[in-house]
Amino acid sequence: MARASHPQAMTPHRPGSTRTAPPQVPDRFWTQRRMAIYQLFDATGLPYMLVGLLALRVAFALGRGPEAWAALMQDFAHPLYVAFHVLALLSALFVGVRFFRLFPKAQPARLGPAKPPPRPLIHVGLYAAWLGVTAILLVVLGGIWP
Amino acid sequence: MSADSGAMRKRTFVVTRFDPDVDQAPKTQSYEVACRPDWKVLDALNHIKDHIDPTLSHRWSCRMAVCGSCGMNVNGEPKLTCKTPLADYGDVVEVAPLANFPIVRDLVIEMDGFMEKFRSVKPWIIVAKEKAAEQGTYSQTPEELAAYKQFSMCINCMLCYAACPVVATNPHFLGPAAIALGHRYNMDSRDEGQVERNEVFRGEGSVFHCSYANECSEVCPKGVDPAAAINQAKLLAVVDWASSFVVKRNR
Amino acid sequence: MSKLLLRLEPVIWLLFGAGIMLGTMLLPAYLLTVGLGGPLGLLPEGALAYDRAHAIASNPLGRLVLLGLIALPLWKGAHLLRSLLGEWLGHGADGAIGSLLYAVAAVGSVLGIYAVLTL
Repeated sequence: MARASHPQAMTPHRPGSTRTAPPQVPDRFWTQRRMAIYQLFDATGLPYMLVGLLALRVAFALGRGPEAWAALMQDFAHPLYVAFHVLALLSALFVGVRFFRLFPKAQPARLGPAKPPPRPLIHVGLYAAWLGVTAILLVVLGGIWP
Repeated sequence: MSADSGAMRKRTFVVTRFDPDVDQAPKTQSYEVACRPDWKVLDALNHIKDHIDPTLSHRWSCRMAVCGSCGMNVNGEPKLTCKTPLADYGDVVEVAPLANFPIVRDLVIEMDGFMEKFRSVKPWIIVAKEKAAEQGTYSQTPEELAAYKQFSMCINCMLCYAACPVVATNPHFLGPAAIALGHRYNMDSRDEGQVERNEVFRGEGSVFHCSYANECSEVCPKGVDPAAAINQAKLLAVVDWASSFVVKRNR
Repeated sequence: MSKLLLRLEPVIWLLFGAGIMLGTMLLPAYLLTVGLGGPLGLLPEGALAYDRAHAIASNPLGRLVLLGLIALPLWKGAHLLRSLLGEWLGHGADGAIGSLLYAVAAVGSVLGIYAVLTL
């Protein structure tokens, strides 16, 4: 009911006088709910990197002209691209929720003379900024203005 | 209220056993124990040792969650066994030594690896010149105390090391308790050793190995929130690194 | 490589921090419009027609946002994937894996600067 940790995990540089058994973790260590969610969070790194590379393609297409742009939009309409963009959107939302929860407590009590706002205020502020930026970008990219 | 609410309950404890003189590898041994309803896991272990199998080895001391001795993995989760009610569990309770540590014997783990990392962060007040006794004591406002007090509550129980996915896979990582304690001193207004400690924080045991899984804070029994300390320490380590290019240093 | 990465960790962490914070802020709206709404025809007529899209992107702020959408997710993703692969494959290969992932992020960022300047 256990699996191995790294063989030198928490091992002192000078061994003790008796033989020890290697470090281990419980079977459920990597699959228990919180750990699985954390690994999912790390795994969003892949859709993020792909989004970045696709945004690069967007930029190049814009630079090349209307035909390249039209081809790109047509590609993006393909079910696989749609599925990917939905996955990327879910990833961004998941990352945002988890990161905004963990961010406030990562601010030191003071940095030189500066002090952070109270943690609940940071939390709310992050969501306000997220909604604000999203609203502005939706208006601009969605064709409402300009 | 059931008629059995005060009755004994028979539970099976599946306990890891390892005798380095005899065993190649750890194995488990099961014990049937009639448990009182108010018992903690530690009470059952002590009952096993006192009445069933005197060869069982386990660490414990204060029985009130302040000494940090009795950390073990119970049903896969790091717990202080003196503080873990059996009422939270069913008929079978698995008790294993703390994860991620070499096992000395049965439920006793090798602590020296932790002590090495612990010492390496210089967990003491560092001042260039000690105040002379005639000048009186160091003073601190409540706000200055609040900047680090939470991180001083650590009882070195090492549950955080048993929960951390980085400790499980990276032998160099300083680990939650050591970093939290180093950060406690970095945030102490009496301390002048931030440069030294931040070198350790950016060294091989790097605070940046932490991937903010937050497991350490989930299992900490004293509310220290080491994940907060580590990630605060990252920011301060970066600021220290940046200022090392601007401000001349003696090293 | 591991030693080099260790020395660069503060910079990597700053890029990752910017990536996760700003990247996550920008992504939902971008994905909803450029990723989904435009290609699927769900947006108002002409919202992402070439002339309009190019005009928005060529605006100095537009260039910055577009560069952000390229570089920020790359650094965030590289850092988290490095962490995940380190746990799955052991940290022995961390030097190689980390360097490879950050190299992709770096190259992508440089190409992004080029693409955004030559719109």
